[in-house]
Amino acid sequence: MNESSDLLTLRSVSKSYGAVPVLHDVNLAIRDGEFLTVLGPSGSGKTTVLRLIGGLEPLTSGAIRLDGQDISRMPINRRPFNTVFQDYALFPHLTVAGNVGYGLSVRPVPRKEIARRVAEALELVQLGSFAKRYPAQLSGGQRQRVALARALICRPRLILLDEPLAALDLELRRQMQEFLKSIQREIKTTFLFVTHDQEEAIGMSDRICVMQAGRIRQLGTPHELYYKPNCEFVARFFGENNLVPGTLGRVQGELRSIDTALGRLVCSIEGQPHLKSAPEGARAFAVFRPEALHLTGAHEAKNRFSGKVVDLAFAGSSTVAIIAAGENEPAPRLRMRLPSRFSGSALTWGETVALSFAPREAHLVLS
Amino acid sequence: MTGSGPATPLARWRPRLVTLLAFAMPVIFILVPLAIFLGYSFFSVNQGEIDYTLTLVNYSRFLSDPIFLPVFWNTCALCLSVAVICVLLAYPAAYFLTTLKGRWRYMLLMLLMVPLLMSYVIKIYAIRSILGLNGFLNKALVGLGILQEPSSLFVFNMNAILLTLTLLLIPFAILPIFLTLERIPPILRQASDDLGASATQTFMRVTLPLSLPGVASAASFVFVLAIGDFLTPQMVGGISGFTFGRVLYSQFGTAYNWPFGAALSVALAAVVVTAILLGERFGRNRGASL
Repeated sequence: MNESSDLLTLRSVSKSYGAVPVLHDVNLAIRDGEFLTVLGPSGSGKTTVLRLIGGLEPLTSGAIRLDGQDISRMPINRRPFNTVFQDYALFPHLTVAGNVGYGLSVRPVPRKEIARRVAEALELVQLGSFAKRYPAQLSGGQRQRVALARALICRPRLILLDEPLAALDLELRRQMQEFLKSIQREIKTTFLFVTHDQEEAIGMSDRICVMQAGRIRQLGTPHELYYKPNCEFVARFFGENNLVPGTLGRVQGELRSIDTALGRLVCSIEGQPHLKSAPEGARAFAVFRPEALHLTGAHEAKNRFSGKVVDLAFAGSSTVAIIAAGENEPAPRLRMRLPSRFSGSALTWGETVALSFAPREAHLVLS
Repeated sequence: MTGSGPATPLARWRPRLVTLLAFAMPVIFILVPLAIFLGYSFFSVNQGEIDYTLTLVNYSRFLSDPIFLPVFWNTCALCLSVAVICVLLAYPAAYFLTTLKGRWRYMLLMLLMVPLLMSYVIKIYAIRSILGLNGFLNKALVGLGILQEPSSLFVFNMNAILLTLTLLLIPFAILPIFLTLERIPPILRQASDDLGASATQTFMRVTLPLSLPGVASAASFVFVLAIGDFLTPQMVGGISGFTFGRVLYSQFGTAYNWPFGAALSVALAAVVVTAILLGERFGRNRGASL
């Protein structure tokens, strides 16, 4: 990792509320200009990370550095970060312009310049004609954009977004995702985005940091997390992975075998030295995505097993089949995703099919 | 309609009866007496007997007599001062309460409300003894060397009324201010801090404006209670502390002129209604709440 491009670093940051620990030894480097998402279920400590960086709460231990300088004790109003709060936290007694200009009006900035920059910011979030309205007169999406304009008007080094899309309906949320991303590209400011929605995270982020129970589980690009989760939690949390438990077998170059209820499966361990060095017989999971699973002919040699279709669900462009795989009971349930066809499904209920997946489309996580 | 309709006529009429009663109560016990009063203000008194012919003589007397109007305005000014002082004292107290955590906050609030449980007359007596010539206030001031000898500045005059009303009514100012302060979402103050405001700026630009509705209702509350009070001026006002409430009271008592008293009440009611409307007007947040 290139140290010089790091904007903000968290070193062994811990936080407890009284005796209740919420963050354990969190290390994180935020790169300048990136869109970093902190993803996790509720109670994972993701919002706490954001509040600690924003200065809304003091650290219990560790340090936060901005450009190498420790800012752990810097008061909230002097940190060059601004937050978009979950419920927007707009000032109900101020107009849209008053809200957006607030951050400038508490500094010695001439009125004229405030007016100019407010107009500029409102133009950026496409609310130019709403300057004189009050927050109560706006829709959820509009409030959201006011909150964003208010946060970016002071040209902060980092914009912190605390689940800002959670209160919006699906359609609006999609629009706002694209909108946020385009704004981020336009103003070239680092965004730290907190969410519990993995789809949102995948669609928007340069990198994603997955948290669980106050710890960082994995940090990487959406592609890495999607195809190479490094633990059971991330594999399960990230979409609809198939996890088949088993015990590790031999290493064969960049592949390793695992003995499961579906027989001996072979999975990729490319770029994951800890899986290469794990002892034989260790408990692990074979992990592969629903779209990696194929109907197969007799010639496939590896990762081949039979299964019975127990459920079929049409989902538009694709069809999801639930397969009870293998001969043994209880049969592991696998999820398989097939492209939908005009002439109907390739599978029928109750049908027994031969399935396989390519070794390089599957990999292992230790349990 | 078929099936299980209401069985007896009584059961069928009961909901309407309840509705009727709900509307009848305030009409009978509030609106009708007020209307009767308004009616009385257009009668007159002739040799101790009420003359039921309609006349405006009571109102013209109130407006032309050199005594009543000045007392009226002085009383308004007095009660306005009480309201202002109460709010100024109550605001910091209420603010302090909101900074306390959980149990302490409500314990202290309860303590501040305890005086409301005591008899009004007893409180006035207690305050009078504090303000009196040999009272605690004078002794303290003399003891501190601020006064050479006990002063009668605080008893049996307008000052005494002002001080007593303020002391009596301050709980009524603390409560609404506390409630609006408590209802301001803490996230708004955090948002202000986050945007770079200092503690003073956050207070002046967020907390204070958002608590103004509470200030307005506190002020109108105290004003209305103060202006309707005749007992306090009677007991601590002496001869010089003559308020409109006392004038009114005397019209129904010693002067025995109910029609004139009614006309004065109408004037007072107009002020009270104005105060309540003003309180209501400023009590609403601009742009509504979130």
